[in-house]
Amino acid sequence: MARLLRMLRIALRAHRTALLVMGGLSFFATYLQGAAFAAAAGHTAVERAAFAQEIDSLASQLAYLIPLPVRADTAAGYTQWRGFGGMTLVLPIWALLAATGAIRNEEERGLLETWLGSGLSRIGLIVARCLAFVMVAVVVVAMAGLGALAGVAASGESVRLAGLLELCLAVLGLLLACYAIALLAAQLVSTRRAATGLGGAVLVALFLLDSLGRINGRFSRWAVVSPFHLRNMTTAMAPGGSFDLPATLALFGIAIVVSVLAAGAFRVRDLGGSLVQGQARDRGVVHTVSPNPLLRLPVISALYEERVGLLGWLVGSLALAALIVSLAGSMNGLLSNASFQGYFAAAGTSDPTLVLLGVFWAGIAALLIAVYAITQVAQWADEDSQGRLEMILAQPVPRWRVVVERAGALALSTALLAGAGGLAIAALAPGQGVHLDGGRLLLAVGLLVVLALSYGALGAAVIARMPRVAAPVLGALAVVGFFMDEVGPLFKWPNWALDISMFRLYGAPLVSGLFATGLYVMTAIVVVGFGLALVAMRTREVGR
Amino acid sequence: MTSAIRTSGLSKDYGSGRGLFELDLEVQPGEVFGYLGPNGAGKTTTIRLLMGMIRPTAGRAEVFGLDAQDQAVEVKRLVGYLPGELAQFGGLRGREVVSYLAGLRGGVDPGRATQLAERLALDLGQRFREYSRGNKQKLGLLLAFMHDPRLLILDEPTSGLDPLNQQEFYRMVDEARERGATIFLSSHVLSEVEHVCQRIGIIRGGRLVQVARLEDLHHLRFHTVEVEFAGPVPADAVRAAPGVDDVAVDGERLTCRVQGDFTPLLAALETARVVNLVSREPNLEEVFLTYYRDAEPSAAGVVADGIDRGAQ
Repeated sequence: MARLLRMLRIALRAHRTALLVMGGLSFFATYLQGAAFAAAAGHTAVERAAFAQEIDSLASQLAYLIPLPVRADTAAGYTQWRGFGGMTLVLPIWALLAATGAIRNEEERGLLETWLGSGLSRIGLIVARCLAFVMVAVVVVAMAGLGALAGVAASGESVRLAGLLELCLAVLGLLLACYAIALLAAQLVSTRRAATGLGGAVLVALFLLDSLGRINGRFSRWAVVSPFHLRNMTTAMAPGGSFDLPATLALFGIAIVVSVLAAGAFRVRDLGGSLVQGQARDRGVVHTVSPNPLLRLPVISALYEERVGLLGWLVGSLALAALIVSLAGSMNGLLSNASFQGYFAAAGTSDPTLVLLGVFWAGIAALLIAVYAITQVAQWADEDSQGRLEMILAQPVPRWRVVVERAGALALSTALLAGAGGLAIAALAPGQGVHLDGGRLLLAVGLLVVLALSYGALGAAVIARMPRVAAPVLGALAVVGFFMDEVGPLFKWPNWALDISMFRLYGAPLVSGLFATGLYVMTAIVVVGFGLALVAMRTREVGR
Repeated sequence: MTSAIRTSGLSKDYGSGRGLFELDLEVQPGEVFGYLGPNGAGKTTTIRLLMGMIRPTAGRAEVFGLDAQDQAVEVKRLVGYLPGELAQFGGLRGREVVSYLAGLRGGVDPGRATQLAERLALDLGQRFREYSRGNKQKLGLLLAFMHDPRLLILDEPTSGLDPLNQQEFYRMVDEARERGATIFLSSHVLSEVEHVCQRIGIIRGGRLVQVARLEDLHHLRFHTVEVEFAGPVPADAVRAAPGVDDVAVDGERLTCRVQGDFTPLLAALETARVVNLVSREPNLEEVFLTYYRDAEPSAAGVVADGIDRGAQ
């Protein structure tokens, strides 16, 4: 028991940063939506009814991401849809990273052997890990609940406490189910990266199953196996919403059963191995050096090493483009609704499908590219802390080359991802009756590369002094930027404040062309960030 | 002739008394120099300063007359480097790691790398993360030797190697020396350094306390001997034996310290009935404690003296 408690303390300590980040994020995500409601919806019943009608229409086109709202004319209903709906997208990503990191990351660093060598059983270890996550998840979901409570109060309304608790319970169930699924996935492969890939693929598939069930009746009967669907069955926070007890119990049931399966798999598999091990191939001993010329080419060698991950991102980029184009075609009628004319007027176009592609494809692509750039920055930090930089600098290469190669690899890989998405849009859009300006599409793709380089430049500058905080800082910047872009206009924040968001700097090039100020600022960030990184690289100390 | 390595007043102060202080050292071309010291003594700090990985607080380091900081790229053209802890190369196979780093260096003969892999019995087809500690060390040695550098800087090169591969490493060092290369290797094992080095430097607490030729170091060489008897313990005879001191008797067990030849001790034991005799080489810390327990000379004085006595 003492060992278990010690492990629990270690596991809780490992969650410190996540607790702060996710707790803060959950609180502000729900608080801001609640507090923004009054400013956005107006104060009279008529204004709010009109607002709810607009939101209902808007929600229809976002149905593939977030379920339709209940009583969007109330602060509680609006916060449930936008605040908790958004968190339902973010929290499973955290669960995935926490579950794959809990076992595989520490296994790769040799920590697991140390702990198991101290006399702690494998079951004890995984139980401690799961308990720690449950405790942290409870706090994070509670923060979301508190944020909603405070936000709705700030709008001068109140929320039914029991309903809020029921909604939080459903969100907690989803979080734990996702953690358990990722934990089981981590036992089926042998590396952290593969575990994240497999766990992520399973969660995305379950998410898409729920999404497809919402927008296409053919899939609705299959959607019931998705934890996302089970979570969305509860809408208890909104007036007139409901609490689906069986669905919530099913979520906790999935979490428990899948965790037990994961624990069983962890108990019987080899450390460093996967549960399912194929027959080892007798490939013979190799003493020759790889003749692959790609490994010897600057920039290309970095992409070659990341080829599997890059392929995954490429497939994701193509799938996103295809999905958005298909939605654009099918929603043509819906978007002709009069309540959307304001949006089109603001965007400066009368073509609703262009708005959908310009705002949603480019918007989501910008978010994905930012996430990709942050993963690259995290990898640079890993390379520095794990001795790779020391080995590179032990060769006769100037220090500046490391920074330039990293920037080059980031530019090339994001050009590949954005270019593939852009090509898919260009190829598929005419089939859906959408006619795009080729120049603007090219501009949108090019600006995605500049956006990625902006994140990369900031990361490169931070890594030189504080490698461990670079990725969390950029992640926070992206999240804050995303929310500022979302709620800033509602609060009527000044333009200079909104322009701090990198997504705002990117603009909507497909719809409204080049946002010149944004390009200038992003270019300045790239030049200054990589410039600082170059200067810092000249003098920084290398070695573990 | 230009020294292979020359440092003057080289210091790296990490605070709280940690780091490297006022290192004056010269290693001549073609020399095999052993750099000895216990853990945390400053060996790796010295090596990283020579490689230009970290910046000195004071002083300077030169490699073949090139400044280790300002001419780091030129220095690395001449150097093969084995870090104390090899980098993580994750999913890359050994052959890909070699190809990647050879690509960065340029001018590496793939045949030479293959030859080294065969000698070290290193399977380059395995993924890096699947390598055992010993195999990672072999890969590190291959990367350091593959371009036949003029200077090899090796941080604890035999760490993790089995005895067979240690012997192979010693042969590689001999061959490198025969073709005129200079070798600077750090270790905390005295016997290992004795095996391959012509001269050694001893560092302790960040200060160089001794530099000497190997033959001048016999006074550092001693063994701790433990003898068990089945009868009377000849304590007086042992105490009287030349080169034997620190004699202690506990029941039928005697421990002592032997410096130099074992013959006087064996003569003193001749008439006794010995049932067990164990001789143990001291670790470096014990050497230091013994050597410096009576008087701790000023580091600067010892260093100057050591260089005078040890310089070739």
